[in-house]
Order: sequence, then C-alpha cells, then structure tokens
Amino acid sequence: MGLARYIGARVIWAGVVSLIIVTITFLLLALAPNPSISEAATQAALQGGDPTEAVERQQELRGLDQPLHVRYLDFLEGVYTLNWGWSEQRSQPVIEALGEGIYYTAQYSIPWTVLTLSIGPLVGVYSAANMYSWRDHLATGFAFFGWAIPNFFFGIILLYIFGVWLQWVPIQYSTDVAVFSVANAKQLLLPVFVLVTGSIGAVMRVSRNESAEFQNATFMKTARAKGVSPTRAYAYHVMRPTMVPLSTTIVSQLLVIFLGSSLLVELVFGIPGLGRLTFDALLAQDTNLVLGSTLLFTFIAVVGNLIEDIVFTLLDPRISYDDR
Amino acid sequence: MATEKPPRFDQIDWDDISPSSRLDLSINSKLMVLTGLPVLLLLLYDLLFVDELQATVPKLGRDLGLAAQFEALGLDYDPTTVDFLFVFTLFLFAWYVVLPLYQNPRLTSYYWAKFRRNRPAVLSLLWLGIVFAGGIIGPQFISAPEQDILLGNQPPVFMQIDTNHVAQCVGPIEDGRCHGTWEHPLGTDRAGKDVFSSVIYGMTISMQIAFITTTIVATIGISVGTLSAYSGGWVDELLMRFVDIVLSFPTFLFFLLILYIYGAGLGMFILVFSLFGWGATSRYVRSKALSVSEEEFIKATKISGASTRRIIRRHIVPNTASSIITQLTLLVPGFLLAEAQLAFLGIGDSNIPSWGQLISSGRNALDFAPWIVMVPGTALFLTILAFNFLGDALLDALNPEAQAERDQ
Repeated sequence: MGLARYIGARVIWAGVVSLIIVTITFLLLALAPNPSISEAATQAALQGGDPTEAVERQQELRGLDQPLHVRYLDFLEGVYTLNWGWSEQRSQPVIEALGEGIYYTAQYSIPWTVLTLSIGPLVGVYSAANMYSWRDHLATGFAFFGWAIPNFFFGIILLYIFGVWLQWVPIQYSTDVAVFSVANAKQLLLPVFVLVTGSIGAVMRVSRNESAEFQNATFMKTARAKGVSPTRAYAYHVMRPTMVPLSTTIVSQLLVIFLGSSLLVELVFGIPGLGRLTFDALLAQDTNLVLGSTLLFTFIAVVGNLIEDIVFTLLDPRISYDDR
Repeated sequence: MATEKPPRFDQIDWDDISPSSRLDLSINSKLMVLTGLPVLLLLLYDLLFVDELQATVPKLGRDLGLAAQFEALGLDYDPTTVDFLFVFTLFLFAWYVVLPLYQNPRLTSYYWAKFRRNRPAVLSLLWLGIVFAGGIIGPQFISAPEQDILLGNQPPVFMQIDTNHVAQCVGPIEDGRCHGTWEHPLGTDRAGKDVFSSVIYGMTISMQIAFITTTIVATIGISVGTLSAYSGGWVDELLMRFVDIVLSFPTFLFFLLILYIYGAGLGMFILVFSLFGWGATSRYVRSKALSVSEEEFIKATKISGASTRRIIRRHIVPNTASSIITQLTLLVPGFLLAEAQLAFLGIGDSNIPSWGQLISSGRNALDFAPWIVMVPGTALFLTILAFNFLGDALLDALNPEAQAERDQ
C-alpha cells in the first residue's frame, strides 16, 4: 500500500468514526425527553389550553412525529451539510455563533500550540543532554508542576496575583481591542501561560526520556566521531527519532486540554470563545447550540487523531503501511 | 523389575501445580467472595426493593424483623450505589493488592527497597495514604459540613479577616479584624461550611472516583487487550478499531451533553468516564501481551501442555501487570481533574461535597477569603502530583528493564 492509499484509508476511517459519534449523539437526543416540549405542555396547561394538543403541535413543529429512521437521515443530512440550525439564545444561526467563538478561541489557541510545540521538545532534549544537572531538575520540577496543577485553579490564582494585586494585566477581557495589539497580548498572556504550563509538562517528559535513549545510540557515536557539531548532532540525529513518539504525545495532550480545560480557562478569564459559548448555551438550554458546539469539538478531536496518525507515519520512514 | 516410571521433566501434572477444579479457589478469592458477595446482594436489594426516599439499612432491618436491634446499634445508613461499589472495590483492593503483598514478604521488601530510594514517591504515598484514610475514616468521626450563613467567611487559625466580611466572628476581634479559631481550623466558606470537614468529605469523593474508575478501566482494558492480542486476526482488528473510536471520543464534552439532557450524579460521571477511559489501557496491554507471548517461557509452557486459559491467567496478565499499574496511576488524576472541572462549572450535582465544588464556591471571595479556594485547590494539586510521582516510581520499581536502561 502506498502512502496515498494509506492516507486515503485513514481519512475514510476518520469519517466512519465521526459518523458513529454523530449517531450516538442523535440517539442520546432522540431518547431524551425534549425540554421545550414539556415546557409547551406546561405553558398550555397554565393558560387553560389542552396540554396533549400542545405537545402534539410542538412535536409536529419539530418533526418529531416522523419515524426514527427518517429523523436520523434528516439529522445526518443537516450535520454534514453544515445546516446546524438556529440558536435561540443568540438569535443567529449556530454556524455563525460558532464562527464568532472560534475567532476568540483561536487568538489564544494558536500562540499556545506554537509555544508548546517549540519550547517543549527543545527543553526536553536539553534536559536529556544535561541529565541530572540542576537545570534538568528544574525542568523536571516545572514539568511535574505544570502537569499536576489544575488549569482553572492556576488561572484563578494567577489572575488574582497579577490582575487584582499587582494590576499588571486587565481583569476583564475586552473584545474591543485589535487582535494584533499590545493590549490584546497583555490580556491573553495569562491564559496562554496557563495552557502552555498545562500541556508542556508531558511533552517535556516524553522528549526527555525518549531522547535520552538516542543520545548514547551508536549512530550518535558515529556522528560525533565524524566531527559533527553538537547542535547539528542533536538537531538531526536526536530530535528526528524523538519526534516520532513525541508527535503522539503532543497531539493528544493538546487535544485533551483543548477539549477539557480550555472551556474552564475561558470561563475564568472571561474570553467569549467556544468554551464560553458552550457553557452559556448549556445554561440557557439552547439545544441547537449545545449540539453544534459538541459536534464541532468532536470533529476537531477526530481530525486531531487523524493528523496524529498521518504525522506518525510520515515521520518514521521505517513504518510500512501494510502493517497498519 | 522396577514398575515405577523414571521421573520425566517434559510431562507435567498440572493438577499438582495448581488445583484443577475451578471451585477450589485461592484464599484471596475465597475472602473476596465472602466479603464481596454480601455487598453486591445489598446493592441488588437497594436497587430492587428500596424506594428512593427510604434509607436502605433501616428498611433492611424492618424486612428482617430486626428493626429494634438495628436501631439500638445505630444502623441508619443510607448508602448510594456509588458507596456500594466503593466498598466492593475496596475489598478487591484489600484481597488482591494488599494481601498478596503480605503473602510475599520477600518480593514486597525487594520492591519496597527499590521504591524507598525515590523520596518524592514515598512522600506521595504518604499523602495518598492520608487522603485514603481521611476519605474512609474521616466521615465516621467528623460531621458533615453544615450551612450557617452567620458563620460565613471565618478565617483559618492564625489568620484574620476584616470584620466587614463576616456576619458573626467566632474568634476574638482585634482592631476591627476577626481572628481564626480552632473551631474552624481552615476557616469556613461563604455559606458557613467548615472548610476542613469539606476537604475531608471531598477526600471520600476523590477516593471513590479513583477506586471505582480504576477497577472498571482495568477490567475492561485488560480483558479487551489480552483478548485482542491472543485471538489476533479479525477479532484483533475489530477490537482495535473499536478502541480507536473510544479513544477519539471527546468524553468531557460528551458528559456535558449527557448532563444537559438527562442530568447526572457522581455514579453517572464514574460510569461514563470509565466506559470511555479504557482505550489507552487496552492498547497498552495488547502491545505488552503481544511481546510477552513471544517469549521463550510461554512457548515452553505451551509445549508442556498448559491450557490457553492458564497461560493467559498465570503468565500473560501477571507479566503485563507492571505496565498496567503504572498506566492506571497516571489515568486516575485525569478523572479527578475532570470531576473537579465539572464541579467548578457548577452544572453537575451540587450536593456532592467535592473539592471542585468548594473551589468554585470560593472564587468570588478570593480577594478577602483566599483559603476557600487555596485549601481544596492545593489538596487537588497535591493529589494529582502524588499520583504522577507514584506512577513514575512504580514504573522504575516494577520494571527492571527501565532501571537497567537508566543505569547504562
């Protein structure tokens, strides 16, 4: 199997996974009592109408009187044609609302991803090169600290120290400032720092332990014997094989934090991004928007796993496509 | 003429090595059945016969006609399903983890000697021991934190707070500042709940999550992993594709969705997170089992006529145990964190006295009553840290190869 076919098979598989998750979501929704229907019944009863009639009208309105498989196909069509419905809470289409959320989420996610990707492996390899020195111990301590401290707790404390006490950063997130401005950088500094601390620990640990293995490998001895400079030796001969197992860690770490903690970090710092959007929709019982953001996060997870698989194979030329 | 056959090494009487009858259980299994079965029966009784509003134990007393005796003994508990499962997993832990350590003192002291060299890990074990003991024994001695709005925002001992923030100060008031007392050693939150006892009750929740999820994840992960490795072919392919799906499931968000549609308590949380949390474990077990099954001693056992069941149970699973234990210790913090995050969002069951709940309740009072956030937050941080250190140390202690690699 060639590379193109391998990637093709992976993409198809990702499609299947997304289909399965969408199906489960549909079943969850279909089997649950719809809050707006019972609300309609209560309304009708309060206003002296007939609750059963109101329920039927609501069901007809929402197409719930049709058989399950018809609704399922409708649902699938809606999901895959990006027809995600209307958000009642925000009075705009769900897609548009999500787009606005992404705009703010991306502003801190991109610097966070870039920083994790660039600093993590470098520090890890550096610590492996200077194993058991005080710098290594410092890096290891930092890695464990960042890995263990709950992001939202860390965020609250940092916001309190730097926002309330020292007043170096604004407490309230402002949406009025330009994206590329000092003010925006200032207000995004803490969220990015918190997220980087959270995700970098695992990356540092894995790159340290993995590259420690390659440092004493025979090919490194050969390279040294040939007079290759240390920088080049580490960049080409240690970094490259380390990146193979590391790619898995990086993608999964970023995904875990993106899908879980970023929601809380947005809440703590008051960023009106995707996580905040989801949370508000949950509180306002805006089913379409909740569903939309869940689906969006799901697709991000599926695509992330796909990227992880492909990058893994691309980085390691020894992996034959037939085996997988 | 010697009628006796000469002893031969290539034929093994399997009955001789271990009793063949499946009813003939080891002492550990006997104890497990003896203690676990009543718990499960009580759980069934609770689920089938007891209404939601009735307390389980007094109802049992009435049904058995022993109501008076039960009352005299003060048996008025109303355990939840999670409590039953927790007790069950505690027995599992006692008979299959702690007791074997006692049964094999030589190995135990060997591992302990290696483990002890790692000082952070010993401290971690100590802290986890405190959380464990506090979570189990604490609620028996310390009464549940009660709301008393007049006693809100009391400072911890040796700390003080401006009297503007407290309705009624328990301790002495000096220069308009309220001082903390031993009555509330770690202060109280805004609603007047004692922070110390809240933290103790939070330990119970954390331990329940840790034990039950670990048991479920280990059971599913080990079964799927070994089955996959040992059957190979399409079964392997199918199971591993299934694992792919489980792994790419955004569990946290999905739980939010379930919470939104159905509402969910601690039991649902544990169930959902452990049912979607075993993916990595089973992959791990599979790869480990595959490499172990290639070993010479497995071939030797197979040639000598051991059954597949025996090989899997006696050789493959024990040989993957070290990696499983490490993997599980690193998995638990994730669950604890997820629970705290959900509690912090305040959309879960607000009656669960968990650490996240307390952190969220003290968020707005951070500038004048920082202990409400700091105490449970630090407890959570230390617990997660301890699990990580422990996992690292166990990896070194249980896996001689990793040690050898490091010493090179």
